Amino acid sequence: MVRLMMETLCAWSVASAQAPAPPPQSDTLLAPPVLENQSAVPHVVEVTLVAAPARLALLPGKVTDVYAYNGRVPGPTLDVHEGDSVIVHFENRLPEATTIHWHGMHLAANMDGSPLYPIPPGARTDYVFKVGEGKAGTYWYHPHVDKRTGYQVAKGLYGALIVRAATSPLPAAIPEKLLILSDNRFGPDGSPDFPDPNSPAGQIDAENGREGPVMFVNGQLDPAVVIRSGEVQRWRIINASAARVYRLSVPGQLLLWVGSDGGLFEKPEAVPDVILANSERAELLVRGTGAPGSREALVTLPYDRYDTHTRPADWDQSHDLARLEYATTAPVTPVAIPEALRPVPAIDTTHVAATKVVVFTQGLINGKTMDMNRVDLRSRLGTTEIWEIDNLVGMDHPFHLHGFRFQILDRNGVPERVRRWKDTVNVPKHEVVRIVVRFDNFAGKWMFHCHILDHEDAGMMGVLETN
Amino acid sequence: MTRSWSRAGLGAAAIAGIFAAAGFVGGPAAAGSENVALAAKQDPVQRGRFLVITHDCGGCHGGVDPASKGWLAGVTDSGQIFKIGACNYVEPDLKPCFVTRPRNLTPDNTTGLGRYSERQIFNALRYGLKMEDTPDVTITSMTPGQGNFPLHPHYLAPPMPWTAWRHMPDGDLWAIAAYLHRALKPVVNKVADSEGPPDFWASVYTPDQIGIYPAPAFPTANERPPK
Repeated sequence: MVRLMMETLCAWSVASAQAPAPPPQSDTLLAPPVLENQSAVPHVVEVTLVAAPARLALLPGKVTDVYAYNGRVPGPTLDVHEGDSVIVHFENRLPEATTIHWHGMHLAANMDGSPLYPIPPGARTDYVFKVGEGKAGTYWYHPHVDKRTGYQVAKGLYGALIVRAATSPLPAAIPEKLLILSDNRFGPDGSPDFPDPNSPAGQIDAENGREGPVMFVNGQLDPAVVIRSGEVQRWRIINASAARVYRLSVPGQLLLWVGSDGGLFEKPEAVPDVILANSERAELLVRGTGAPGSREALVTLPYDRYDTHTRPADWDQSHDLARLEYATTAPVTPVAIPEALRPVPAIDTTHVAATKVVVFTQGLINGKTMDMNRVDLRSRLGTTEIWEIDNLVGMDHPFHLHGFRFQILDRNGVPERVRRWKDTVNVPKHEVVRIVVRFDNFAGKWMFHCHILDHEDAGMMGVLETN
Repeated sequence: MTRSWSRAGLGAAAIAGIFAAAGFVGGPAAAGSENVALAAKQDPVQRGRFLVITHDCGGCHGGVDPASKGWLAGVTDSGQIFKIGACNYVEPDLKPCFVTRPRNLTPDNTTGLGRYSERQIFNALRYGLKMEDTPDVTITSMTPGQGNFPLHPHYLAPPMPWTAWRHMPDGDLWAIAAYLHRALKPVVNKVADSEGPPDFWASVYTPDQIGIYPAPAFPTANERPPK
């Protein structure tokens, strides 16, 4: 199984490295396989995930020792519907403890895969949760074990989780693509490069978070997406990078931004680019505005999230992520894009039980580093709260709250223009973001943290207890 | 790089500003300085005010006296900006060259010191540690990695003279923190971040370059007991 996968990956890696090939007539971008549902019971999705070491060709001509879910990087996609009960039989065959965090899911605290519930090496567990109504959207899963999340994700442990509604407001004629963005840095032998934390390179990783020059889409280098002139495609994009923030653009066209972390907006928004911080998701409608046979690209534009002390010299460079190849076939008539997508009801802010302040400084939340035996904040179930997240330092920190989705009220006092469901929000340097969150259903301890994985692992995380 | 940066990098406008401020404090304020000092003995905030005035915090951080515009509110004028490194005003393109901007010391929550504790302000004055990069904890060691002293300290950008002011008694540093934190009105003034090298100045602030704390016991080889 692993060997077969390796050969397959080698095959496309070598193909993608070859110089100018004729434009493909079908995608070279491969979607990860969807996890097979072992249950015949309606509205039950029962799957098996195994995390284990593997040897895969992540780079052309190199074999890398990775950690993989079911033998592949990225892991297979968990594809479910609103209302489904999900059972994941998980086995940890890694030489170290791990967890699976179902990023963005609203579930019992002991199913959240937080560092409070590590799965020891060799152990099995079942993750069981029910997907609520109204939760259709693009999510992802990854380890969230104490101090080792960044390492395990860099070694290859990440995958997509897609929740679908019974019906979609988008026409069925719109094809859907999944693009999981990740980056990595490799040594000459093809192994992921983790510098000594006390070396200058290690200290810069600790400041910036670990970025790498190699940028993958679904584990592939510069894959091609084929589009027909006139065609509209729905791209679900996940930022699975530890620290790299993408500013996504298809030069030459405006993107129709239709969804974020928790699914579709109320209506599409035409934008030149979308900033996607760590673990944020975006849903875009990409329109085939080019001529048959022409080429465009999905690029990431420069975005200065960095502290001036450690900003990389090449921060102002753009990078290609994937090619957009226009088929040579005749143009098609564009499908009509609905003006209304789905309601995103505003969380009622007239009865706010508490306002909390979360202060980000470098590596710290409210002046402290993570202590799993401490509860930093407490909230009552059945109440609504406003959280003010103040970033006092000169670099961006993306804030993630486990278990409970939220809406953004304002940024630096400026009301948020588009209402959207979020579980992660980037708080740019020296900015203040206020969010409103409703706590329901699940008592327990939840993490809130900076989603730059190096910062999270170094303790830029706190514990919220709901009861 | 040696400590010559603090002189080489001083802009003409900044030097003029410092001299002007010093002259003002030493002149018209002199008549009342004994009263200020007396009041300070009783009240940490008044003591802090006295120390802030006598140590010319305003010379870089803004204002010429506590009644003046922009008092300790950080950079409001390009003359308050320093260039630190090999560059100078004759040869501005020499590298490295880092821009240092005196920060807003008023207790505004997001642009000033409002979200920091007095202990963090104390740690900045005693150890030179940037408040936003250093835990809000008591530090009991001067050795990186020990006694809550960060393993990879992030230091305040030069020319902040914490290396001299750290020798003030604890009570004086706490008094400065109290004055800044409790007795100033918050001013919203967002000052851009200072620049610096990736080691956050650690290679500049070594004992052979800044001396040791506490200072060596008297008399050293350079000193003698008074006759």
